[in-house]
Amino acid sequence: MRPSLTPRGLLLAGLAFALPVVLIVVPLAIFVVYSFFSVDHGTMVYTPTLANYGRFFTDPVFIPVLVTTCILCVSVAVICVVVGYPVAYFLASLRGRWRYTLLLLMLVPLLMSYVIKIYAIRSILGQNGFLNAALMTLGIIDKPSSLFVFNLNAVLLALTLLLIPFAILPIFLSLERIPGNLLQASYDLGATGTQTFLRVTLPLSLPGVASAASFVFVLAIGDFLTPQMVGGTSSFTFSRIIYSQFGAAFNWPFGAALSIVLAIVVILAILVGERFGQQEAAR
Amino acid sequence: MSESRELLALRSVSKSYGQVPVLHGVDLSIRDGEFLAVLGPSGSGKTTVLRLIGGLESVSSGAIYLDGRDISAVPINRRPFNTVFQDYALFPHMSVAANVGYGLSVRGRPKAEIGKKVAEALDLVQLGAFANRQPAQLSGGQRQRVALARALICEPRLVLLDEPLAALDLMLRRQMQEFLKSIQREIRTTFLFVTHDQEEAIALGDRICVMEGGYIRQIGTPHTLYYRPNCPFVARFFGDNNLVPGTLGAVDGDLRAIDTALGRLVCSTGGDTALMQAPEGTAAFAAFRPEALRPAVEDDVNRFSGTLSEISFHGAATIAHVATTPGDVRLRLRLASQVEGIALGEGETLALGFSPAQSHLVLA
Amino acid sequence: MTASLRPASLFLALVTALVGIVLYCPLLVPILSSFFTVTHGQADWSSPTFAAYVALAQNDDILSALRATMIVGFSTVVLSVSIGTLLALYHNGRGAGAALLQFLVFLPFLMPPIITGLALLIFFREVEFPRSLVTVVIGHTVFVLAIVYRTVLTRLRSLSKTLVEASLDLGASRWQTFWRVILPNIAGAMAGGAVLAFALSFDETMITILVTGTTSTLPVRLWAMMRLGFSPDINALVALVLMFTILLCILAARLLMPAKDRAAH
Repeated sequence: MRPSLTPRGLLLAGLAFALPVVLIVVPLAIFVVYSFFSVDHGTMVYTPTLANYGRFFTDPVFIPVLVTTCILCVSVAVICVVVGYPVAYFLASLRGRWRYTLLLLMLVPLLMSYVIKIYAIRSILGQNGFLNAALMTLGIIDKPSSLFVFNLNAVLLALTLLLIPFAILPIFLSLERIPGNLLQASYDLGATGTQTFLRVTLPLSLPGVASAASFVFVLAIGDFLTPQMVGGTSSFTFSRIIYSQFGAAFNWPFGAALSIVLAIVVILAILVGERFGQQEAAR
Repeated sequence: MSESRELLALRSVSKSYGQVPVLHGVDLSIRDGEFLAVLGPSGSGKTTVLRLIGGLESVSSGAIYLDGRDISAVPINRRPFNTVFQDYALFPHMSVAANVGYGLSVRGRPKAEIGKKVAEALDLVQLGAFANRQPAQLSGGQRQRVALARALICEPRLVLLDEPLAALDLMLRRQMQEFLKSIQREIRTTFLFVTHDQEEAIALGDRICVMEGGYIRQIGTPHTLYYRPNCPFVARFFGDNNLVPGTLGAVDGDLRAIDTALGRLVCSTGGDTALMQAPEGTAAFAAFRPEALRPAVEDDVNRFSGTLSEISFHGAATIAHVATTPGDVRLRLRLASQVEGIALGEGETLALGFSPAQSHLVLA
Repeated sequence: MTASLRPASLFLALVTALVGIVLYCPLLVPILSSFFTVTHGQADWSSPTFAAYVALAQNDDILSALRATMIVGFSTVVLSVSIGTLLALYHNGRGAGAALLQFLVFLPFLMPPIITGLALLIFFREVEFPRSLVTVVIGHTVFVLAIVYRTVLTRLRSLSKTLVEASLDLGASRWQTFWRVILPNIAGAMAGGAVLAFALSFDETMITILVTGTTSTLPVRLWAMMRLGFSPDINALVALVLMFTILLCILAARLLMPAKDRAAH
């Protein structure tokens, strides 16, 4: 049955689309248009220009920051997947109630207050934090280390800690979907446990890995609070620069242009994740 | 049966989904009080016929008449028909009693009346003790009976059943077939039953309507369809059959000759005018059931020799594959099983035959 | 897949336990700190105290932020559940452009919150809509709509299409069918979506920072305070918020789990 284009159908469609268009499409459209405006001494200039994009490509600051940020977020994604995979595998290997109870336990931290988690991470990582105290008590170091204090390392660690659950869930779901009889068939054909894992389980769980990685990457690259809170003044990430355009720098059109660049990166990441996941699933 | 009046009629009803036609100008007449089985393979359009009658879909062209009145435009909830769905479609959030009483409740009938009728309907399907259960607590067969009670409670003119037994296992299915038949006799309501299982259609239907590819191929009693199929499709679809292609020869009373790879055979036309009047040389099939084939007797007109292979025991019957001389035609032969085993062995060659009365011609 | 006590499984269990500990560490620190005095990373374990909780009860600033958070949360729930359910029904009813609609609804959820937030910020400025808790509610609704929409749509799709047909077939009107068959069957999903929406709204920080006016919600207040360092009463609040969130999680799990059991039949 094809959607009806009767007057009643059109009216319904109009009603259904009204809110999403007003509150989602229009703001995003204005946002895109804004990126072609400019600011002159604190006043908006509503003449279309490509200057904002020009500045992004020519100014020596922005592209390196974008590259650094991408490397940071890819690292976060890789660490999350590497750590999350064994956890997901273990959870999927459990039976009955334990499986979902433990999964839920792993996911509960997601729903816990974001600001509080950052705060706690900061108090753990800080110069006078629990980590340094513990390491000193254990005699591993003799004076507080500043390796994880207000720098990109701290941002990397904090983002990883915040986002691991987002990696566990999709991997778990893809592992759970693998029919048990496939593994039995593999054993039946004489494969060892390791062979079965490498040649059956791992390839079949790659779509989950792909979506986990793109998920974590997207969430990490859009976060402008964590870098600000644990990264100190020196570690600028791309989202932080965008945010500053709407605060101290007060250049909304340029901020909008940078946001468009960010959106393109995010869309690419989602597409790559999806593409990779589907290809593997089709095999 | 034949004198009972017409309840419902489809007149050149067609249905397409987008560009895809699924029914081509179907004519069907349903008689008051009969149990009509609509039989066909998947994709034959049988379920579409049911959905069109029930009002779940609308006709693309043609019309549906109830008591001679065009009801094609009457919406589903105003048609005096009720459906038993293939997946039963019991409301999961309602008790058995609430499910059965739903049709009365939405019509705003008083509670007391609903309670009384629900109890009656549940008694009819022998589920009186289950009124307060939830559908999830019932077995497949019980759910099926709840769905039936729910469809019967509004006293519909016609009950539509969409493969209601398909999800049940074989034993339960046999029981439910008898149960359905007995209920239909008890309440004397017209039933239209869609199935892909020809045994089920034979067991249940007063008449059977065979469909294929969006066309109705033949409508008739199970006996007629079994012994007098009007086309190769029905002849093959309806039970095991031997079909030997050939060309028609001379007419001789009710019989007619056909030239085949087995030589000249003589088969019954059943008095069918199309078969009698078809010119000589017309392509046709000689059709005879495996149980009609047997070791030849003295004055058999249809006589040839065959070599047996693959003899297999099927309980009451034993079935053998036959390769004929002349022609090397592959046939199947069905014999009543014997305690001591049948007297024939694999590889044995013997004279075979069948009587013209036990055979039938089918136009190709 | 079965877990046996092979070395590999033992290793996996160990990794899982470690990750669990690491995930829960940031949650435990403030809870412990709310009962014990902490100086320079060293807790004074000898004297547990409720002083922090007493101080919290007197902190009007935090309490008003908490009140604002609750108001925003409930408004968001009401708006997102009603709009999300209607849109899901439209989608499931094969309305025109359903795929496009789904894409639009998902955009704010897929895009980084900074983009959603900034787009709304500029939008509100352009239509000269003053920033307040109302703009926060709009921002949250746009953000969580996708969750409610998806939850309800998934349940609608899991409902057999023949349920609606059966209802109509038995003589019910479209309206009766909605109230007596569809709504009771999606109520659980709506409630689960509502709890998720509330949990997301309760914790939403990034969009809120961008679209909020002078009064703001708890996470944003906390964020502002964090730069100065937290007083002990904040730890007490954190402990309470965590307990509340755990309760919400259990509730959401309860509401969404039975659907799974039902689907198994």
